[in-house]
Amino acid sequence: MNIKFSGVSKIFEPDIAAVVDVSLNISQGEFVYVIGATGSGKSTLLRMITREILPSRGTITVGDFDLKRIRKSEIPYYRRDVGLVAQDFKLIPSLTVYENIAFVMEIMGMPKKTVSQRAKEVINQVGLWRRRNMKPEQLSGGEQQRVAIARALANSPSLFIADEPTGNLDFNTASDVMKILTDINSAGVTVVMSTHNQIIVNSSRHRVIELYNGRIIRDEEGGSYSS
Amino acid sequence: MTTFKYILRDTMRLLFNHWVLGLLTLITAGVMLWILGITTLFSLNLESLLSRLESELMVQAYLKSDANVEEVFNKIQALDQVSSIRIFSPSDSLNKLQEKMGSQSRVLDMLGDNPIPWNFEIHVHSAELVEALVNNLRAMPEVDDVVYAGLVVKRISALSRISSQVALIMFVLSVIITALVIYNTIHISLYSRRDEIGIMYLVGATRAYIATPFVLEGTLLSFIGAIAASIGIFMAYFPCINLLEANMPFLVRTLITDRNVILRFCLLLAGFGATLGWVCSYLVVARFINLNTKPL
Repeated sequence: MNIKFSGVSKIFEPDIAAVVDVSLNISQGEFVYVIGATGSGKSTLLRMITREILPSRGTITVGDFDLKRIRKSEIPYYRRDVGLVAQDFKLIPSLTVYENIAFVMEIMGMPKKTVSQRAKEVINQVGLWRRRNMKPEQLSGGEQQRVAIARALANSPSLFIADEPTGNLDFNTASDVMKILTDINSAGVTVVMSTHNQIIVNSSRHRVIELYNGRIIRDEEGGSYSS
Repeated sequence: MTTFKYILRDTMRLLFNHWVLGLLTLITAGVMLWILGITTLFSLNLESLLSRLESELMVQAYLKSDANVEEVFNKIQALDQVSSIRIFSPSDSLNKLQEKMGSQSRVLDMLGDNPIPWNFEIHVHSAELVEALVNNLRAMPEVDDVVYAGLVVKRISALSRISSQVALIMFVLSVIITALVIYNTIHISLYSRRDEIGIMYLVGATRAYIATPFVLEGTLLSFIGAIAASIGIFMAYFPCINLLEANMPFLVRTLITDRNVILRFCLLLAGFGATLGWVCSYLVVARFINLNTKPL
């Protein structure tokens, strides 16, 4: 899935500019880090891709969808092709690990057997099969993040958005998460990941987009955390 | 079909997760729908009783001796208030009176010539129209005298008006209270899961997929409440009718005593309960989901 930002700005009421005049292109299969200090606009940028936030100015196109003009009824179908991993995991607390993952397939009307097979596959992929009947609150931060990844993987999305997926994790767990993301990218899935983690950015070199006060100040292929 | 199965399962989850609240809603909806049903039945029975009394209300108009009977008959028949009219000749009237008086009818022989003039027995559509009819009749120069039960007419007509107003107020109150209880229950259910709703929408659930379990929850609670109310009505109504039959048998032939009619009424109440639940839940869910899934 290609992503195209053209002159995108987001101003929150009363007058807080979170993203200012951003234009960028991300091609299918790329792995992109979005870095910058807290409040630089990373999360706003990512949440505009998932259409949780609408731009005040400019246009965003993801695949065939113009996110400003997309019809309300099309949004769920767009989102099914976007795997999302957030820093706060966004798991449904009343459901078990298995149910959280099965849910994204059930909403598509997949038969129970297919749901069960695919859920087993992705839960195994993130190494949580033995925890499948646990509720999110019974898991550690790293495990919850892996559940979120498994859920994002379940529908085999074309685009993977990860908003600081290693933010709450220790180094080893963060490395495990990074390995999974790299594997996903190797399969041709576009990955856009915001992070503060210098070690990760420096050890696994990909395109780096750096934001400062909502503006892109660096867009470097194979870049490091600091310019 | 598969999606519908998942939705049904989610509905059951909702019902079991909030079972205390659900039970309270069910009881409140049941009680309010029971009151609504009983009030409606009471009002229907009262109406049936009043309409019987009204149908028995009649106005008698006595003509002057020189009046053209056929002409007056046509004039009265043309009045809006008249539902039926019967004409009695002086001899018919005398025979009727003699029949009524039985063995005492010999007293009439003392009168010599038949003093009863041509007269009409007029029935009206409803008690409220009697006064207008009487005024119309009195305004006719051919009419000598008009006889009717004035006070009874006024009381029946007032009772009829008050009973319809009370029934309407009770109906509206019961509907509003039931609607508010269901609305609030579903709102609480939605509010307690607002984060989940946001997540579901974010991972690709359609609004309909998210909304349907909540709408079904409200509809089911209201429907079960209405079924309970219907059973309650069925169980309470016939003992009441039996009691009335024992003490006021003359009343029973005007009341609704057919079990099939009551059964149909209960089914209608259950349908009404389900519809009310569906409408309330739909309104609250649509509003809540619209507000909570809006992009920033």
